[in-house]
Amino acid sequence: MNDLIRNIDSPEEVSTAAAELRQVVDASKITPNACLEVLEAWGNALGGPETAAIPGIAFLRLWLRRNTLEPIITRELGQGALYGKWMEDSGRSHLKAYPVGIVGHWPAGNIEIQPILSMTCGLLGGNACLVRVPRGLRDQTYQLIGKLIESDSDGLLTTRIRLLVFDHERLDLHRAMARSVDGAMIWGGEEAVSEIRSLPFAHWARMAVFGPRISVAAMDAASWCNLSAREALCRRIARDVWQFDQQACSSPQVLFLEREKGHSADDFVQALRAAFEAENRIHPRQTMDAALTTAICQARASWLLEDVANSALFPAGPDWTILLGQGSDIPPPTQGKTLTVLEVSDLQEPLAKLDGNVQTLGLAIADPEREETLASMAASRGVDRIVQLGRMHVFGPPWDGIDLIRSMVRMVRHVRSLD
Amino acid sequence: MSALEARIDELLAIPPYALSPQDRELAFLALLKDELEYACSRNAGYRNYVRHWPVEPRAAPKVADLPYLPVSLLKADPPFALVEPHEIKKTLTSSFTTGQTPSRIALDSPTARRMSKAVAAIVQDFLGAQRRPYLVVDVPGSVAQGPEMGARGAAIRGLMPFATEVTYCLRPDSTGDLVLERDKLLGFAKTHRDSAVLVYGFTYILWQYLVRPLLAESVSLEMPNVHILHSGGWKRLQDEAVDKKSFNHGLAQVFGCSADRVIDFYGMVENVGVIYPDCAEGNKHVPVFGEVIVRDPLTLEPVGEGEQGMVQVCSVLPTSFPGHLLLTEDVAEIVCRDGCRCGRRGIGFRFVGRVPKSELRGCGNIRRTREPAQ
Repeated sequence: MNDLIRNIDSPEEVSTAAAELRQVVDASKITPNACLEVLEAWGNALGGPETAAIPGIAFLRLWLRRNTLEPIITRELGQGALYGKWMEDSGRSHLKAYPVGIVGHWPAGNIEIQPILSMTCGLLGGNACLVRVPRGLRDQTYQLIGKLIESDSDGLLTTRIRLLVFDHERLDLHRAMARSVDGAMIWGGEEAVSEIRSLPFAHWARMAVFGPRISVAAMDAASWCNLSAREALCRRIARDVWQFDQQACSSPQVLFLEREKGHSADDFVQALRAAFEAENRIHPRQTMDAALTTAICQARASWLLEDVANSALFPAGPDWTILLGQGSDIPPPTQGKTLTVLEVSDLQEPLAKLDGNVQTLGLAIADPEREETLASMAASRGVDRIVQLGRMHVFGPPWDGIDLIRSMVRMVRHVRSLD
Repeated sequence: MSALEARIDELLAIPPYALSPQDRELAFLALLKDELEYACSRNAGYRNYVRHWPVEPRAAPKVADLPYLPVSLLKADPPFALVEPHEIKKTLTSSFTTGQTPSRIALDSPTARRMSKAVAAIVQDFLGAQRRPYLVVDVPGSVAQGPEMGARGAAIRGLMPFATEVTYCLRPDSTGDLVLERDKLLGFAKTHRDSAVLVYGFTYILWQYLVRPLLAESVSLEMPNVHILHSGGWKRLQDEAVDKKSFNHGLAQVFGCSADRVIDFYGMVENVGVIYPDCAEGNKHVPVFGEVIVRDPLTLEPVGEGEQGMVQVCSVLPTSFPGHLLLTEDVAEIVCRDGCRCGRRGIGFRFVGRVPKSELRGCGNIRRTREPAQ
């Protein structure tokens, strides 16, 4: 294991790593532009066969490109921020982004590339990063960081990161990490997020919390009844369901279809089935927890037992499941590529019931004006991302309504003293 | 008696471990298909489930292709039954801890009768037909008369046909905890020292209330002809770092018998009438009126010899609830497809543990709706 990724067993080891970072962040500054150069090279180095099997690697490579990140930096931190310049504001004042210091990252355990994604957000703000790596993601993270080391011969970024591998249960190590940081980016499920939020952070520590959320998809009648577009739309839905085994906050758990006289949702789900089968052939699961298999079997059975009007499509294995019924309530998510398709008479019905737990709304709406109305309604009911079907996982700021880089910088205003 | 019930009884009349896997499948598959059809005729929801199964049951070439229910679907109250409420004679409940929901198994008279007959056939194969004094390491209240009976009560009662007399050696104290009735136990041991004796207790109860205290005092009951059957989970014992070997040796020491007289059996109320005692080789076998399929969690396909997976239990015994094909939350390993050295035909398997608790993971883990701000 390289020295950047460390198996940690004591709070002292956490403090040591943080002290190393503190020295670097106090002694040197880095502009987003310099950071981008290394990230671009890193992205290129990730194209080889060693990392090809890591889920999300294609997306990570795209994320690390200058073309992706430069507009984000400019939008969040302002013109000139790329080169560490002050941005003129109004009158005599100008603004500039400064790092908060050391940013601690607590990624979720279900997204292989998330430790890296979160870390890059901290680095682009000029921060040093202390990243807790869940044990299950250690090997993938090790491979990814190995490529960074190759791409960063001057140590511009590698001196500013330490990745700490330890078990979720080690509260003493979480505490030590929380005490060492000036900001925290926290990702994950309800229990994990609640536990991390309650750690003894310094009173000045910034906190950006992402998750837990679920996501839904919706199609108006004109979209799903359009036979010429059906296959492509179903392919997009399948893509959104497949990524991250439907365990991400941006994964659609339910698809609402607006009912249309003369058109059968049964026909639509048959097309969806074909798309699911095709996606499964391309991206079959390699392993599976028995607990998830159990949950999928339970979801299938309880759906069909509880209402004889419900129907379902599924293969003999746990590969995927489509549950079809009526209603505007979001059923409890099963995950594991189990999509509930619900017919509603008007898409406003389910949107009116959203409670803030929904992060992303994937849409296919034929009428742009109607889409505006529905988007506004969803946004006012707590939805933070409203995107086209097929793009529900495209990671970009704002995420959960929060800017990714700006959340971990101080925007300093200088009002010139001369009249 | 209906034709279906008569066919179940025919299968019950066959010695439980006599058929080869091929002959068993022949006898079993056709009957199960008819039972599924019967169950569908009794419950519209179940019919809807079977109708959506990827393999049409009538056309299924093997038992493993038939529609199975996850066992948790039997955690319904009122119970998920195939008979009218007035036909339910007894409801069995699975063991559960605070906050958990138990399974509720509706038994009508014919199912209850078959359950008793089936357990007797299995136990007879292991212990012989002889009746003997029966020592129950539990309280008499475990088999209290009433509309509901727990897993412990069902297991105790299942062995009653082998009893000439029944002695319970625990009693509840004022706090509801169990206490060993030492004089009663010692009296029983003295009276039946040289006889063949049957003992039954839940695994952790046997250990906690009988073996551990008597071991500490080096008490031996000197009952060399005893057979000790036990069932129930190992979790509490594992928490105390007690493995099967030390458990068996502890029991053998206390009863003054050889360790091979301790027989662990796997069973669950949802699979009424079928119990799976360990054979002399340490394997569990399936009687002719049941089947066990071990499925790969990745594909749900049956696994091969030496492989582990999720346990599906199958039984032709129930007609009062849909317990014919149940996917459990247990994990087992297939040891052999046939030919165990103990002489019992059919698969031999070993229980491995429980499927870890199912939970949503990661950033999509939402367990509750949000409360509106006050």
